[in-house]
Amino acid sequence: MKRLCFFLLLLASVGWAAEWKIAEPGWRYEFPRDHHAHAEFKTEWWYFTGNVFDAEGRQFGYELAFFRHGIRPPAARDPNSSRFIVDDLKFAHFALTDVSRKDFRFEQKTSRGAFGEAGFDDGKRLAWINDWTLTLNTDDSFDIAAAGAPGAIHFHLRPAKAPVVHGENGISLKAAGKGHASHYYSIPRLETTGEVVVDGTVHAVRGASWFDHEWATSQLGPEQIGWNWLSVQFGDGSELMLYQMRLKNGGTDPVSSGTFVAADGATKFLRSSAIVMTPERRWKSKATGAEYPIEWRVEIPEQQISFTVKPVLDDQELALNQLTYWEGAIEVAGKLAGNPLKGRGYLELTGYASGAQSLGR
Amino acid sequence: MIAQYFRIFVWHVLRHLQRHPLLALLNILSVALGVAVYLATQIANHSANRAFAATVDLVAGKAELQISAPAGHLSETVFPAVAATKGISAATPLVRGLVTLPDFPGEYLEILGIDVFTNAPFRTFDLANFEASGLDIERWLGGPGSIAVSQEFLRLHNLKPGDKIRARVNVVDHELEVGFVLRSEETLDPHFAAMDIGWAQELFGRRGELSAIELRLIDPRGRENAIAELRKILPPDVSVAAPAQRTEEVDKMLGSFELNMTAMSLVSLLVGMFLIYNTVSASVIRRHREIGILRSLGVTRNEVRALFLGEAAVLGSIGASLGLVGGVLLARVLVGTVAETISSLYVLVNVKQAFLEPWTFAAAWGIGLASVIASAWFPAEAAASMEPARALEGGTGLERSLDLSPAWWVSGLLSIVLAGVLSFLALAVGPAWLGFGAAFFVLAGFSFLVPGLTSYFSAGAGASFRAIRRLRRKANVEAELGAANLSRALLRNSITIAALAVAVAMTVGVSVMVFSFRKTVEAWINETLVADLFVAPASNEVVGPDSFMPAEAVQFLANHPAVETIDTFREMDLPLGDEAVTVAVVRGSERRHFQLVRGDASAIMRRFREEPCVLASESFARRHRLRDGESIKLTTPEGAREFPIAGIFYDYTRDQGIVYMSARTFTEFWHDDRVNSVAVYLKKNGSAEQLSAAFRAAFGRNGEFVIYSNQSLRTRVFEIFDQTFAVTYVLLAIAVVVAITGIFLSLTILITERSRELAVFRAVGGSAAQIRKLLLWETGMIGTLAAVIGLVSGLCLALVLTGVINRAFFGWTVRLAFPWRSLALTPIWILAAALIAGLLPAWRAGKLVLAQSLRNE
Repeated sequence: MKRLCFFLLLLASVGWAAEWKIAEPGWRYEFPRDHHAHAEFKTEWWYFTGNVFDAEGRQFGYELAFFRHGIRPPAARDPNSSRFIVDDLKFAHFALTDVSRKDFRFEQKTSRGAFGEAGFDDGKRLAWINDWTLTLNTDDSFDIAAAGAPGAIHFHLRPAKAPVVHGENGISLKAAGKGHASHYYSIPRLETTGEVVVDGTVHAVRGASWFDHEWATSQLGPEQIGWNWLSVQFGDGSELMLYQMRLKNGGTDPVSSGTFVAADGATKFLRSSAIVMTPERRWKSKATGAEYPIEWRVEIPEQQISFTVKPVLDDQELALNQLTYWEGAIEVAGKLAGNPLKGRGYLELTGYASGAQSLGR
Repeated sequence: MIAQYFRIFVWHVLRHLQRHPLLALLNILSVALGVAVYLATQIANHSANRAFAATVDLVAGKAELQISAPAGHLSETVFPAVAATKGISAATPLVRGLVTLPDFPGEYLEILGIDVFTNAPFRTFDLANFEASGLDIERWLGGPGSIAVSQEFLRLHNLKPGDKIRARVNVVDHELEVGFVLRSEETLDPHFAAMDIGWAQELFGRRGELSAIELRLIDPRGRENAIAELRKILPPDVSVAAPAQRTEEVDKMLGSFELNMTAMSLVSLLVGMFLIYNTVSASVIRRHREIGILRSLGVTRNEVRALFLGEAAVLGSIGASLGLVGGVLLARVLVGTVAETISSLYVLVNVKQAFLEPWTFAAAWGIGLASVIASAWFPAEAAASMEPARALEGGTGLERSLDLSPAWWVSGLLSIVLAGVLSFLALAVGPAWLGFGAAFFVLAGFSFLVPGLTSYFSAGAGASFRAIRRLRRKANVEAELGAANLSRALLRNSITIAALAVAVAMTVGVSVMVFSFRKTVEAWINETLVADLFVAPASNEVVGPDSFMPAEAVQFLANHPAVETIDTFREMDLPLGDEAVTVAVVRGSERRHFQLVRGDASAIMRRFREEPCVLASESFARRHRLRDGESIKLTTPEGAREFPIAGIFYDYTRDQGIVYMSARTFTEFWHDDRVNSVAVYLKKNGSAEQLSAAFRAAFGRNGEFVIYSNQSLRTRVFEIFDQTFAVTYVLLAIAVVVAITGIFLSLTILITERSRELAVFRAVGGSAAQIRKLLLWETGMIGTLAAVIGLVSGLCLALVLTGVINRAFFGWTVRLAFPWRSLALTPIWILAAALIAGLLPAWRAGKLVLAQSLRNE
């Protein structure tokens, strides 16, 4: 689960929902089919995060996400109409954390795509906006590339594990009631090789990435204001994904959940009742005034897991007009069944900026 | 020294003002009126230009270059290559269109189809939801009819956010929703709206086409290189230019119209100058004794001159300042009229406000003051040159200084000859404004002749009254004295007469010009407007030739059994060098008549229909100094091409000229057969009413089309014609008011001036009634002389206006015609006005207190 960047749109678009397909139990995942776009659903994203290192051990965290937000369901589209008419809103976020220099930069790109300069699923590329691209290769590996204000990345990603489907019965619940759910899977570990270019210097890097793909139509409930999400790749070869849907009253929605992926690929669905997440430190953004809980203590008693989450850098906030969130590289340390446990991952915190900044209205 | 002068000056001026407040007031008012009219005209012109420039600015935003296709076909597919061109930092596509609003008759919206993804670096306005800041992008992109309008638009039409309005595009009605608000720091023309470019293409039926691509440059110095790079990838008929160029084109187009307005506005200032001259002269005469004393006390000639000029300057600056206030008030009236005229003749413009620029005010003030000083110069000079002894002795030096030297006749005749020479030059070599010089010298020439003519008239009138006395054996003392008085105060009377004559001449000249013009146009319309019915999309009446006739509607008319044949009409502006030329495309049916200036009409028309060539209007040919047989270079989608001019025809529709091309030629090169309107020629027994009814039943019952019968179109044409000259009439009326004020003023001076003489007249037995009668005789004779001289010089002026100014500026051949009835009435109303203006002074003269007036004796 994550990245319902268009929280505002999700709420606003209830009227359209009837014409869009909603996420319902029983979806049968097939790959590579489900790597591709699902145009009949209103929103969809392909999300890559990861931590990579160059030969000298210099660490970089990155985020590259492509978003599709449907304006018009496929049935309502007219293939002969003006090419400027937008059926899908296309935008992407690219962020790079230069850990040793304590530098974080980000950029958003959006495009009409009237001339094919942005789009989804043209047979080879799953998503692209100009020179920001996500390509699915025939051997099921991915290539991603982006260049802009943060610098540039060019990565080849080879899945080290099979896709993991989150939730139960093919849907990941986001709120109570029919349709408040998404179809959601991850490839929790991809061996990553390629280049990071920062300030004109090219760094050959290796590391691990996490890929999320999620599509849905109207998953949020009216009482929800955002979420906390994290993904961790542990040193022992296992991975963990957790999310909490945050309610206006300060609590968390009981539908929140997580998935534990063992080193051998076996998965375990984690209910919210099985997870204890305690914020340990808050950081206040100078740019937006938002206060984010950036350090956590996480306990999952039934898995005998407990660890602390610390960001590699406090300021990893994407202060974007109409949509501000914190998303950054983290390091975790703790114990699994009494043995020391270390790992790296990404943390996402949304809905903390003031109304106008986080919701755009 | 300075302080001393200042003291004398204050005493000199203030005492005078105190004694003659009415005089001072009239002087001030005449200057104020002249300045006000001039300023108002400048503001109106300037506001129209600014309003148009603001339109260009709003559309182009912060663009540094603009790509557009004048004939309308800019393919959207060029956009990616344009955006990627070297030197371009940002590019955004634009689709523009006009819709009329059937729910608000006569109203329109210019809709800008914008791309919010790329136009952020260009936009000078803000798009937002009504409820709060921010733009609901999904709703903006989602709805087919969502538009953003200004708050002003809502207020004007009493609409609420979210209301639906009907919008008519090419005779089809669409529903638009007022979903968003346009905000700007500058005041927005409420006729502007914005919508998403994709939906704009759909609304205007322009899939695949753009109106323009706006560009920003990485470095403004790289402009020429960028243009060169763009030219490589763009089709030849697409233009790449700075957005401001369109403003310059329009400024140029409006130049003649505005120069004419300015010239007209200066007339009242000119009449005012006569007035000032008159009063300053009177004041010099009245104060001869004072001048004598001052001079005897050692005040120098220069100081005396400075006293009078200073006085004029004080009055002038007060008047000019008042004029600035009056000008602003008058501008409010004029701005609307000028904008209407410009919209109906030149370019759609909506002037929402008067632009007030400091320099316009400074200029108007300066011109007002300069005219005052110039007109006070000669009387001040006369005061300065008075011999102290003679001035003290009480001789009216200025009166006597006017000996009727032949110089007056010579100057008069020379001026008239000069007017002829300037006319010739204006027509033969230019520049066109020499025509105004000719008009000026006509007026000046006749003004110089006034003293001589007045003196002859005085002598002649005197002789005839004496002859009548002998015949009837009864003396008309007042008439005889009046006639004699005319030449006794020759200079002052001449100036009054000249001022009035100039105003009359202007009235006569302009009305003859307008009348001739109207007659010429009437004859031309009779010759050329011969179709029985004219059908066009109704919106073309509101916003110009922007909508097209549906092809099936054209077919319907062509195939209807009552129809013998049809002709089609299409109009657009194409670039020609760095100007734009209006090109009209017609099928050129056998029955369409062009009034050709020369040549074999049937051969020319055959060539026009069958070969790639054009017909040029007389004004176009004159403007570009082209003759038949020469050719013009137009840029077609395939590149530049020469089109020979097969013939030149008379046309009075626009001063910048028009070029006709056959539909066959146009379609061959431009691949576009859309038409703006259709002219229908009926069979002998065809009924216009039945055809109109059938057409409306088939294509639009809701007023989507206008259908004019031959007669109703003519009426409409003349409505527009009269509207065009409305401004002219307003300015003229003001000039006449100034002139009549002048008579009133002159007579008032006359009485003040002659109080002693009139008192003597009373003392020797003249009654108050006789004095009144005497003064009315004088006024009557002044009026008569002014009317006659005004009529004659007015007719000469009419020659210049129709034959020189019209031709030089607009290239129109206007055949002179005379509105006999109104010409015949002119002397009568001038005389009446003069007599009425004389009533109050005459009545006051009758009440002069004898003792007081004679005290000086």
